Amino acid sequence: MSVEQKIRSYILENFLFTNDESELNSEDSFLEKGVLDSTGILEVIYFLEDNFGIKVDDEEMVPENLDSVNNIVKFVAAKSQAA
Amino acid sequence: MATIIDNFFEAVSLNKDKPAVIQGSNALTYSELFVLSQKIAALLQYFKIKKGDRVAIVMENSPEYVAIYYGIIMAKGVVVALNNTAKKDDLEIWMSHAGASFIFADNIDLDADKNKRKVLIEYKNKKYKTIANLDEISEYDHLYQPMSFDENSLATIIYTSGTTGRPKGVMLSHRNLASNMASICKYLPIETNDRVLNVLPFYYSYGNSVLHTNLGRGATIILENRMIFPVKVIENIQNHKATAFYGVASTYAILLSRVKLKEYNLASIRYVTQAGGPMPPAHIEQIMEIMPNAKFFMMYGQTEATARLAYIPAEKIKEKLGSAGKAIPGVELEIRDRHGKKLPAGQEGEVYAKGENIMLGYWQNPEMTKSVLKDGWLRTGDIAKMDADGYLYMTGRRTDMIKSGANRISPKEIEEKLAELDGVEESAAVGIPDEIMGQVIKVFVVKKENSDISKQCILRHCKEKMAQYKIPKEIQFISHLPKTPSGKLQRFKLIDC
Repeated sequence: MSVEQKIRSYILENFLFTNDESELNSEDSFLEKGVLDSTGILEVIYFLEDNFGIKVDDEEMVPENLDSVNNIVKFVAAKSQAA
Repeated sequence: MATIIDNFFEAVSLNKDKPAVIQGSNALTYSELFVLSQKIAALLQYFKIKKGDRVAIVMENSPEYVAIYYGIIMAKGVVVALNNTAKKDDLEIWMSHAGASFIFADNIDLDADKNKRKVLIEYKNKKYKTIANLDEISEYDHLYQPMSFDENSLATIIYTSGTTGRPKGVMLSHRNLASNMASICKYLPIETNDRVLNVLPFYYSYGNSVLHTNLGRGATIILENRMIFPVKVIENIQNHKATAFYGVASTYAILLSRVKLKEYNLASIRYVTQAGGPMPPAHIEQIMEIMPNAKFFMMYGQTEATARLAYIPAEKIKEKLGSAGKAIPGVELEIRDRHGKKLPAGQEGEVYAKGENIMLGYWQNPEMTKSVLKDGWLRTGDIAKMDADGYLYMTGRRTDMIKSGANRISPKEIEEKLAELDGVEESAAVGIPDEIMGQVIKVFVVKKENSDISKQCILRHCKEKMAQYKIPKEIQFISHLPKTPSGKLQRFKLIDC
């Protein structure tokens, strides 16, 4: 399973409570679509740290890194490369 | 008494070219805000708004939101500002109950387009018809017909919960708003030169009071709606050299736990405020340590009292830590027993409040109004003790309302939605403690016999039907709910489960 698929499945299953892929486009903003709240974003971070062996710093918790599947995929790739 | 419109007009005349509201690269000066408000009012007049017509706003905070709010008032409409994260079902309950004729929306569920453009919708018999696109408002050339104001007339209805049978619409007059805003300005050091960073939604009474007090004083309001990315909030404070910040307990809990606050320059902040439920004293102390030059104001209030009832003066914050504060100017507070008799200092009872800020009543619900308004006094439903100096110390609530972040949620709202599911026999929602949000929702579900309904299926239904903040964080299946012999749910027995 690709990184994108893993992240999409996690968001669909845990925040949209469905397996229907059409419910979420990879470029959809979580904020605008009301997918995540303040506690949800933390859960996403724990998921990324547990599954991709990265550490998300406080200052990295910004929309550019975390506000869509695409943004997360790019962020995880950059972090993994830097590690 | 100067209404919020009088204060706004005065602020416009004194601060024409100064930014009134800023959001990212989108900003309106006081003159621009005034012109846009006039255009909104003229648009409503063109569509034949009548005095007292209810106009809903279903939009996230933005500079345009502010113009729409003031435009509705200038056209003598009644503002019904609704939670823009709510789903269509809840919105329709509120809009139908309010008898709204028009809706300003950027909510795609309500006929706005997919680009979330702001539109004006005519609402009749639960049918939506978009009649204007606000992006093109400059093309409308109708002229605003100025109107006079009666301070006793209804200015806004604020809905505090949304159960199907009992929507609670708090009716606030121009006098209520004017009185409470004037009181707040007597104890908060709001100045014309302030730049206020606001994360609070305007559809709740706290955010509403931040809007009117600061605009009335000619301050600049900087909007930041991305509280889930707290670094952005702090960067905005730093970049704009914000002088004031308002939050609820969870706002500060999030900032303290997810941002290295000490690494930012927050020296521009002159004062911070907190309201909307108790804040752990340890968090107050941490904020004061990080911002040693800022005055910290703890406040207490209710939508039924427009917003504010009590505060702790900044210089008393350490001495009175743990208190909800003393009465603000123009408000009387008493502790009474269950027969309505005033109790002396130190005894526990219900908080009663009196003042020109106390609501007119609940919209179209005289019975509920009668149950909380008596002889000019408001029964708050909060249980507290008062010390000899008049400071309140909260000890509980008479109601089962769940308080999560800035949101107050009736357990019945959740239970009604779960009852729509075939496999659910009955359910009970409770608030359980959460370090960040104060409380989060847990539901206990009794399945129907032979039902194989899953947690996922229940959560999916919640997601479709309810706003994000109402979705339970925990679901537990149980065989039966604890009840009294007469069948009344014993919700308290579930809280420790």
